[in-house]
Amino acid sequence: MEGSSSSGSDLAFKSSQTIHTEHLKTVRAVAWSPAGKTLATASFDSNVGIWEQGRDNDADEDGGEDGEAGLGNGEWECIGTLEGHETECKSVAYSASGTLLASCSRDKSVWIWEVQPDAEFECMGVLLEHSQDVKCVAWHPQEEILASGSYDDTIKLYVDDPSDDWYCFTTLKGHDSTVWSLAWSPCGRYLASASDDKTLRIWAYVDISATAAENAGEKNNKVLQVKPPSTLTSGQGDGRWVQVSVVEDAERSLYSVSWGKGKSGGLGWVASVGGDGTLRVYDIQEDPSSVALKPKLITSIPDAHGVYDVNGVSWNPRRGFEDVLATVGDDGSVKIWRVDSGKC
Amino acid sequence: MSSELFNANPTVFSSARSASNTSDTESDGDEVEEIDQDEIFGLIRTIYDPEHPNTLEELRVVSAPQITIKRNHIVVEFTPTVPHCGMSTLIGLSIRVRLLRSLPSRYKVDIFVKPGSHQSEHSVNKQLNDKERVAAALENPPLVDTVEKCLSKPSPILQLI
Repeated sequence: MEGSSSSGSDLAFKSSQTIHTEHLKTVRAVAWSPAGKTLATASFDSNVGIWEQGRDNDADEDGGEDGEAGLGNGEWECIGTLEGHETECKSVAYSASGTLLASCSRDKSVWIWEVQPDAEFECMGVLLEHSQDVKCVAWHPQEEILASGSYDDTIKLYVDDPSDDWYCFTTLKGHDSTVWSLAWSPCGRYLASASDDKTLRIWAYVDISATAAENAGEKNNKVLQVKPPSTLTSGQGDGRWVQVSVVEDAERSLYSVSWGKGKSGGLGWVASVGGDGTLRVYDIQEDPSSVALKPKLITSIPDAHGVYDVNGVSWNPRRGFEDVLATVGDDGSVKIWRVDSGKC
Repeated sequence: MSSELFNANPTVFSSARSASNTSDTESDGDEVEEIDQDEIFGLIRTIYDPEHPNTLEELRVVSAPQITIKRNHIVVEFTPTVPHCGMSTLIGLSIRVRLLRSLPSRYKVDIFVKPGSHQSEHSVNKQLNDKERVAAALENPPLVDTVEKCLSKPSPILQLI
């Protein structure tokens, strides 16, 4: 099926290729590897598919340059299938370095795989910490730290212990219902979560003296870098995870959140979408006197997909396009937006 | 699967005669008619209980007063016949599927058990209103077959402008 776009902007989009996966049920989520050559698919059939593009048969000597001219015309092939989940797989994500892949499922587990040469994948851990379905996984933008969001209303963070076992080192509680989606800030010091409880929340690792200092009237921002617990030395102080913001604008469940660099500096822009059909974009700036954040709504597009739920949102990661994002909805369409004009 | 029913002896009520068409609103060609409680009830009253040859109306599981509509938001409350009813999620799913197939896309539907009527009220409500759980359930052929059996009595087709 040929896809096409209609828009009045300088950007044009056209459907490039369709991969007819062999998944037996819905393909729920997709994730690009950081190098942009490999695609992972998460399916309700419980498997994760790994796809790479074959050689372009029509390539001339200029074809196939990294980062140039996008994809070639080669066929996409399945180079691996990761089996193990017992029920629907909901989300899949590559770590920042591309050497790790995480998947999660209604079977309550999070699986961590190591990406090895020749399309080999080794299971590094099966984490059974949540008490209900795990809806999403998100890797920290720099560290090998994984976050997961669940039907059990919590968020868990995991890291690889030096003695080589993955474990959950903290649980973030606060949401009153399912956590559907997670997004780390580009700087890596904050984590945003979107929930069925209609709120968007932001979490940070702060110096334990931060709250006491604020209560005592001291002006202090003591948000700490997020690091694997084993790397923290006593000189770096004790920290704890706290909720630094709650945004209650949505009228129905929020299904997806994305955090991009934006064009206003600061911590960037957070986009959220959900069952009320509205696309909301917030500008996030740090307050030097407090760990609390006050996201500022800069764009609100009601009925972004007409009467339909908006299920996903994602910022363009490409430099120069920090004001461009994509949304997907139950109307079956993908929409590309630019923030300054507020038009699709 | 146990051969014991959750509620072997449900109370069966008689169903009301179909509500007469009381649409007396003049609508010009461009206006969309709002759906009312009775029309939603009309869609779900004929759904069969999974365990008995009775409709949800006859068992007083659904009723018109338990349906709320505000603009495009519909809330359907249903009452399981017994507090430990293990068929509740299936009944709720049948209601959802019937409405999904019959209503225009603009309606958002929430389905809850009547507060206090079920011992796992929160758990049942959460499952019924998680659209991913619902979508996955509808990709499960044996479950879909069971839902289809509950829906197999033809329902009135809503003609909407």
